[in-house]
Amino acid sequence: MPVTGMLAKGKNVVLDDVSMVFGDFTAVQKTDLEIRAGEFFSILGPSGCGKTTILRMISGFLEPTTGQVLIGGDDMAGIGPNRRPTALIFQNLALFPLMPVWENIAFGLEARGVSKRERRETAMRLVDLVALNGHEDKLPGDLSGGQRQRVAIARALAVEPAVLLLDEPLSALDLKLRQHMRAELKDIQRKTGVTFIYITHDQGEALTMSDRIAVINQGRVEQVDTTDILYDAPATPFVATFVGEQNVFRGRVSEVANGFAVLDGPDGRMRGRLNGSLHEGDDAMIFVRPERMQFLNGTDLDNVVSASVDRRDLEGAFVNLFLKRDDNEIMVHLTNSGAAGRDLTGEQRIGFAADDARVMPAGDLARD
Amino acid sequence: MGALIRSYGRSLTGLFIVLTVAWVIGMIVIPQLFMVERSLWVRQESTQISLEIDRLYNEISTLQFDAQQAADADKPAIENTISGIEDRIAELEVQEKAPQKVYTLDNYTRMSGLHLKIFVRTIVYAALVTVLALVVCYPIAFAVAKVATPQAAAFLMLGLIIPYAINELLRVYAWLMILDYQGVLNTALQWVGVTNLAAQQWIPFLESPAAVFVAMVYAYILFMVFPIYNTLETLDRNQLEAARDLGASTWRIHWRVAIPHAKPGIAVGCIMTFMLSAGSYSVPQIMTRGTSGDWFSQTIYRQFFESNNWNQGAAYAFTLLIVCIVFIFLMMTIFRVGVRDIAR
Repeated sequence: MPVTGMLAKGKNVVLDDVSMVFGDFTAVQKTDLEIRAGEFFSILGPSGCGKTTILRMISGFLEPTTGQVLIGGDDMAGIGPNRRPTALIFQNLALFPLMPVWENIAFGLEARGVSKRERRETAMRLVDLVALNGHEDKLPGDLSGGQRQRVAIARALAVEPAVLLLDEPLSALDLKLRQHMRAELKDIQRKTGVTFIYITHDQGEALTMSDRIAVINQGRVEQVDTTDILYDAPATPFVATFVGEQNVFRGRVSEVANGFAVLDGPDGRMRGRLNGSLHEGDDAMIFVRPERMQFLNGTDLDNVVSASVDRRDLEGAFVNLFLKRDDNEIMVHLTNSGAAGRDLTGEQRIGFAADDARVMPAGDLARD
Repeated sequence: MGALIRSYGRSLTGLFIVLTVAWVIGMIVIPQLFMVERSLWVRQESTQISLEIDRLYNEISTLQFDAQQAADADKPAIENTISGIEDRIAELEVQEKAPQKVYTLDNYTRMSGLHLKIFVRTIVYAALVTVLALVVCYPIAFAVAKVATPQAAAFLMLGLIIPYAINELLRVYAWLMILDYQGVLNTALQWVGVTNLAAQQWIPFLESPAAVFVAMVYAYILFMVFPIYNTLETLDRNQLEAARDLGASTWRIHWRVAIPHAKPGIAVGCIMTFMLSAGSYSVPQIMTRGTSGDWFSQTIYRQFFESNNWNQGAAYAFTLLIVCIVFIFLMMTIFRVGVRDIAR
């Protein structure tokens, strides 16, 4: 690839004790975070959680109230966004509507005083990288959403950033295109080796693309882990419910032993893998993924509840069954193998293995 | 048209059209045609007819005296001659009163060297005022539209608009008071010891064209600020940040992103400021009070109301109008904006 050689190697980004306070509102609480060189890192959280503030501190549009931002080991204090080795892709892309595609892409080079011939050459190589050949002299307004997206990526890559910051750039695209662009972004990241920091509120997007994810809630980092760990072993009730779907049962701890805990609650006695520290008598929650729930046909499991089938949603590859048990809604995902769950009605016994359940101290859940 | 009828109904649409046509014809077309027609003829001087009439009146007086002295037999013949002369006078007087219109381009070609100089100077000065206003107003418009917080922007806007609640003449007089021989500025300079008002050692600000420039930029600042502000308001802040993030200097951000976006507004602002300052009468009249040369609008005024030469005045006014129209097209070409962009 001619392009890869042109790009600088990715650098790591370290947030050291960084916080951001606006007046009497703390947007980001004191945070330590290390994003490794060349990884695809997502910052995931609900809107207003402070993730965009973090992005703006890394890109240099905001100076943190406390702490340091280090990129490749260099303290970025006092260095403006135009002098940082980062490039930002905006949520609305912010292409320059009056410049043709190639000038958009080469704008960063123009700002660096590169000659027009060289700019055009580099732009054409990037046009090639993002597969926009033949569109280089059009105006952004004449392109489709996906093509504009690629222009934005190429424009950011043209300045050879060590860190590429992406602020929910896919949110304006329709589902099919979004899925396609996810793969493309991941591919470009691998080809270039640039550190990608991807901001999103879409957990599905974060899971599919990222190497690691930081989950943020109300200005605080709840968990930083690889996607698998994040999904299978969430650290807090918020992460458990924000990433993917969860069934939640509440109760009081009656026994803690060998990394497992037993809860007694309105849904009976339940056992699950212990996350964090709990003692007898503490309020706790037990979380089970809908796809780990099973209908019991004679077989027995560690945990069993009975509930009545309320409705069945067909989602394509999956079938979502919603069951009611008093006020609690229990969701069960079944793989669609034809008539999955179609004949299930009325009262059913469902259960899950203790290994598939996580017990942790009661806390705030993510709101839908 | 069809859309109008659907929205407002036949009768209301008809009324709109009648009013619009009446406005265009009554307020624009007819006065302009009247002007153009006026500018295309000159009144032929009829001094010979007047002399002839005077001579004939004298002759009548003589004949009347003759008639008193003459014998009765001769009287009818003399009175006959008198009435013949009276008929001739009546005929000549009709000729004298009817304007001897001679259609010619003389009004356009016969501009005196002095007037031509004033004309050219006015156009150059108006262009300079426009440039000056642009230089002053673009940063203001940008600050209000993009930099200031909403509250600060509201205050800035209020500060810009409040002076416009005051009559233009009073606003210009304010500058007169500041720049006058014994005005605010010279008084302030006296405190620092630069001027001495008692000894008539002052700086004659009003005698330099700069005084007119300052007052004009001030008088027409809103006409430049508002169109630019309106276009900059619609500029996505992310574009400025994107340019900054890509490494552009402040100058380049303006040159490549903000100014191209504001082009229609700049064009409209320049057109309005140029037209207003090229045609301004009150500002140069009040500011210079004859101490420095005329503005062309003052020359036109003199043609109409001092020389009483409406034909020449109409030609001058029409020439100015043509220059302004040429300026509009020039701006539209330079800024590559269409009528549609300007109307936006």
